[in-house]
Amino acid sequence: MARAPRVAWWGACLALAALFVFPLYLTLGQSLKTSAEAAASPPTLFPHQLSIQNYLNLNGQAGSIDMPVHLLNSLLVALATSAGTVVLATLAGYGFARLRFPGAGLLFLAMLAAFMIPFQAIITPLYVVLHTLGLSNSLVGLTLVYITFQLPFGLFLMRNSFAALPSDLEESAQLDGCSLAGTLWRVMLPLAVPGVVTTALFSFFTSWNEFFAALILITDQGKFTLPVVLSVLQTGQFGTIDWGVLEAGVVLSAAPCVVLFLLLQKYYVGGLLSGAVK
Amino acid sequence: MSERRAAIAARVGERGGARRRALTWRRRRQLAGLLCVLPALVCTTVFFFVPLGLDVWMSLNQWPLLGDHEFIGLQNYAQAVHDSAFLSSVGVTVLYTVIITPALLVLAFVLALLTQGTDRASRFFRTLYFLPVPVGLASASYLFVWLVQPNVGPIGRVLQLTGAVHQPPVWLAATIPALLVVVGMVVWKVTGLQMILLMAGMQSIPEAMHEAATVDGAGWWRRFVFITLPLLRPTLALVLVFSVAGSLLAFDQFYIITAGGPSNSTLTAVYTIYRTSFVSFHLGYGAALSILTMLVLAAVSAVQLLLVSQSTEMS
Amino acid sequence: MLAAVLLAGACSGSGGGSSGTTTLTLWARDSEKTFIGQIVDQFNQSHKNIHVNVTIIPANDPFVQKLGTATANGSGPDVVSIDLVFVPYFAKTGALRDITSQAKGLSYLSGFDSAHMRLANYNGKMYALPFTAESSVVFYNKTLFQRAGLDPAKPPTTWAELEAAAVKIRGLGGNNYGYVWPGANGGASIFELAPFVWASGGEVVGGTPGQSVPMFNSPAVTDMLTFMHNMAQEGVIPPSASTDTTSNSLTAFQSGTVGMCPAGAFFIPQLQSSKTFDWGVFPIPGKTGGYSSFAGGDEIAVGSDTKSPDAAWTFVQWATDMTAQQTMAKLGVMPVRVDLAPTIYTPQNPAYSIFIQALQQGHTVDSTVENALINDNNGPWATMIHDAIFNGNIKATQDTAQTKAQAIVAAG
Repeated sequence: MARAPRVAWWGACLALAALFVFPLYLTLGQSLKTSAEAAASPPTLFPHQLSIQNYLNLNGQAGSIDMPVHLLNSLLVALATSAGTVVLATLAGYGFARLRFPGAGLLFLAMLAAFMIPFQAIITPLYVVLHTLGLSNSLVGLTLVYITFQLPFGLFLMRNSFAALPSDLEESAQLDGCSLAGTLWRVMLPLAVPGVVTTALFSFFTSWNEFFAALILITDQGKFTLPVVLSVLQTGQFGTIDWGVLEAGVVLSAAPCVVLFLLLQKYYVGGLLSGAVK
Repeated sequence: MSERRAAIAARVGERGGARRRALTWRRRRQLAGLLCVLPALVCTTVFFFVPLGLDVWMSLNQWPLLGDHEFIGLQNYAQAVHDSAFLSSVGVTVLYTVIITPALLVLAFVLALLTQGTDRASRFFRTLYFLPVPVGLASASYLFVWLVQPNVGPIGRVLQLTGAVHQPPVWLAATIPALLVVVGMVVWKVTGLQMILLMAGMQSIPEAMHEAATVDGAGWWRRFVFITLPLLRPTLALVLVFSVAGSLLAFDQFYIITAGGPSNSTLTAVYTIYRTSFVSFHLGYGAALSILTMLVLAAVSAVQLLLVSQSTEMS
Repeated sequence: MLAAVLLAGACSGSGGGSSGTTTLTLWARDSEKTFIGQIVDQFNQSHKNIHVNVTIIPANDPFVQKLGTATANGSGPDVVSIDLVFVPYFAKTGALRDITSQAKGLSYLSGFDSAHMRLANYNGKMYALPFTAESSVVFYNKTLFQRAGLDPAKPPTTWAELEAAAVKIRGLGGNNYGYVWPGANGGASIFELAPFVWASGGEVVGGTPGQSVPMFNSPAVTDMLTFMHNMAQEGVIPPSASTDTTSNSLTAFQSGTVGMCPAGAFFIPQLQSSKTFDWGVFPIPGKTGGYSSFAGGDEIAVGSDTKSPDAAWTFVQWATDMTAQQTMAKLGVMPVRVDLAPTIYTPQNPAYSIFIQALQQGHTVDSTVENALINDNNGPWATMIHDAIFNGNIKATQDTAQTKAQAIVAAG
């Protein structure tokens, strides 16, 4: 490669990286400032005095807020949503992409509809449905709701992933005596891993950060998820914001998601299809 | 391809009645397809279609949050069509969507093309661009409120220090800058995800096609326009449908950053629905507005799908 | 109701626990997180046969949505502590239980502040008891006052004096401003600007709770808007106030660059955590004298879905009595028991006596459509405040707001 493009590449990447990372750096810095410095006008661009007071405030200002419990709640719900969405979306995506049946096209479009309604509109009827099923005030109920609303994205993505694979693969597998289930599990799925990982990540992030349904559908303090509790901790009278706690909360909630992304990142690396299974 | 199918059918049909067995074989595949889709279908039916039906019923009623409801037929819909506040909020939403959709897509493409390599540097930058994605939408919104705040926000301070401005500007006091702050926040937060999706799509284009084109003398741009883009159709469909849907349904970011201001000039459609249902407590009317919004969105998505994707199967 | 349409037997709420203990659910809003846990623990320890579980919910919109949705489905809480401006709505819609007879039996009913008592009543019946109080006063930066040549021991008592002080402080130049408040927040504006109207003998929303009469275009309101608009024109209000819906104004005051900022007692802990200047408080003045404030805070009520009304009442009554009020006062919460205030609250901080004084001249908004009229940041009150003060054209803005307000009352 010629020298100039390489330098240009680094230049462009770094400039863009600065734009993307700068707000996060500022957030981290702000979360580590003392209360007085955080309110300073004009503001300091990095902490002159480090303090973890904001993080301490996150855990049990009231004694009735037990942060580890809420972290665990969020983690369980997000993991379950992720797993559930992956399973349902992969199966359905395979069905739509590969196993044509009458009416599949229309059904696919209909199932995308869940993405097209404002959540605020559907929350009251959802509450009624969950209540009827005995699933109100239940993390299981919340998970099922989350899965339902992550499905359109996962479904579309998995259908695309499977459709992009050459059809000979399936047919060779079946000629070799593989059952339909075996074909899916051993041949198709490994090649659709980027889609699976994206579905898993996106469902995890969205359910991890979701506030409104978690607020309305859960009632016991002990079952609240992280976003609801953070909201309680961050706001005061008339919606006044404790900025320090807010930023510490942002760092706290973003951290596990970033870790998860770093762990799963390698599945995005190219070349999975080149040298495909013969 | 059909020879292979015939071969399989023939093998299966070896035991006799070849044609009957071929039909059974296809039927079995169809049934398998249906079974695969069934779990997702059940979930969606219980937790979406049923509540949706309830929503439709509510939209035909005068339905307060607390208290008795009264059937009024299509009155809510008739009112909605003449509701100037709702219609202008739809206009704001469309404007926002028109601005942000290309901004997101173009930037995502740029980032995807820059970091599609497998070397460590590419992976490093890819991670950095993805970092804002896990930050929740509400958190990111509060973050940007703080960033652009004139007294204590850092952006104004940086602009002041570099001499670009004398006093930190009050971004949120005028409609267009306020809208741009929201656009900026969403672009910052969402581009990384679109980048990943586009990249995953680009991975599935066989290297062989690019090599063949290069051998034929096609440069980088020509390869992009004539090979990458067409083969990316399904991914583009996915990205566009969800990007547009998300933008047309935008609420949280406006609620937090502009609060619909200044002077109610940045109220979006869903913001209006939210106020109708949860501030004025008129659930029936809110439901009618939601159904209308959904129908419009479904139509828009259908059009997008028609335009962008042709066949999703590779031959 | 919804529940009746679909359910074959509601559940939720609470019932008997093990070995005869009754479990109660209590919903409180996030601003109460600093004391509600302790109160509940105290109660649980002293009442062996009742156990209260508290759930802390984000305030304002989320709280109202949650309470409304739950009650509509028969699963509301046993006891609920609500922002007092929402009591008329929930009383009217049957979400709260009638406690008139029990309340009448209280010996200290006259010890509560009058604004809370007014809101606890709807259609001649009592639906809640006052629980916590809050009143609005003006915080002022004594250090800045001194630097500007004003006497820090003599804060403004009329609008003219306030305006003059603001101008002098702005005259210090730089980042210094005279007066700030969240200009785009309806709830904050009713808390902090309406008292100017009340102190001058005017009214913002009149009538009865179920039949409100908005008075957005009354002369008293015109006066207040003109006063604030003049200050904005003179540049004594920071431009960021016009878009502030949250707490930027408080942060600005905390940074020591603003002379005056109205707020409630909730601001004191925040100020005390960063003591870089000397501050004091004074009551919100009327045009030519007198003072008023917004009497805010929470009321505590028994939810209509409760399965244990007697146990719930026991808690409600306990929460307004000496033990609980004393614990809360020690934690800095303003008591609703003005009869107890001089002994349990005022001695802790000289500023507190001003708050109690202001509370006793406090008004509030008593309306079943308060949320849509006032709290809504995109509603008629908030829009009028913002547009009139920062853009001028006062009369026209008032008329538009009045029309919209009347439409809201009519729609119910």
